[in-house]
Amino acid sequence: MATATFPPPPPFYRLYKDYIENPKSAPEPPPPIEGTYVCFASSYTTDDVLPSLEEQGVRQLYPKGPNVDFKKELRSLNRELQLHILELADVLVERPSQYARRVEDISLIFKNLHHLLNSLRPHQARATLIHILELQIQRRKQAVEDIKRQREEAQKLLKEALGTLAGQ
Amino acid sequence: MDIISQLQEQVNQIAGLTFNTFGTLQRDAPSARLSQNYPEPPPNPTEDAASFPEQPKQMSAALVKAAKQFDALVAALPLSEGGEEAQLKRIAELQAENDAVGQELQRQLEAAGKFFNFSDCCLMCCMCSDTSYNTCPASK
Repeated sequence: MATATFPPPPPFYRLYKDYIENPKSAPEPPPPIEGTYVCFASSYTTDDVLPSLEEQGVRQLYPKGPNVDFKKELRSLNRELQLHILELADVLVERPSQYARRVEDISLIFKNLHHLLNSLRPHQARATLIHILELQIQRRKQAVEDIKRQREEAQKLLKEALGTLAGQ
Repeated sequence: MDIISQLQEQVNQIAGLTFNTFGTLQRDAPSARLSQNYPEPPPNPTEDAASFPEQPKQMSAALVKAAKQFDALVAALPLSEGGEEAQLKRIAELQAENDAVGQELQRQLEAAGKFFNFSDCCLMCCMCSDTSYNTCPASK
């Protein structure tokens, strides 16, 4: 026995009663939101940027700077990860109560790895855009060539037809 | 799947293998003797003892394989030379070239459209009985 009903729609529809006669008598739609907004008690931001690790409270293991050599850093983080896993195995054998620090280190490395991979995404987006533009240019050039050729052929055919007709 | 997603999947797989390895070994390990004072631990059931020495070897081999796979994927990353600015410059160049080619295409399309109209007129002339070809616009 379901007693839950849907909430009623917002009552703003009454403001649009005379919209057909006079479009200006009803309120304008709200402007787009900028900055941060609160939706269902959690706040979101309209600025789609990857927050840096410091903002999330995570220590950054790879060197900061304008151009990060992604491949080198990814590989060195991988090696660090393997070493830490071995360390954890050793600690569990000899001093089992001290696992917490090692586990923290391993999770730190994982967070850094994922952050590096996420910061590769804008690069990938730009590369995809470049690829699409190149494809489009190639297709347009091909279309130009085709149209030119067809026009010349059609012109030739017409001239021939006229010539045949004039010769009669 | 694109290479970055594959790398992310590989990282998650390494994490999964890690905790599965430690979890399984901790759960299935036979009792160990802590000190000489305590009596010998009871013998393990034979089912564990059969496959038990193999498990760490297999699991660590899987871990190493996953790490090597990660390295291979990293090597396959198609990272172009210079960072953001080089890419943005290339995008601007391509956009300019795209605009130029687009205008050329537009011109060709207009010319083709006009030509199509002319050829329609010529067909009309041919079908009508006007035999003075001086008024035909296509004979030039």
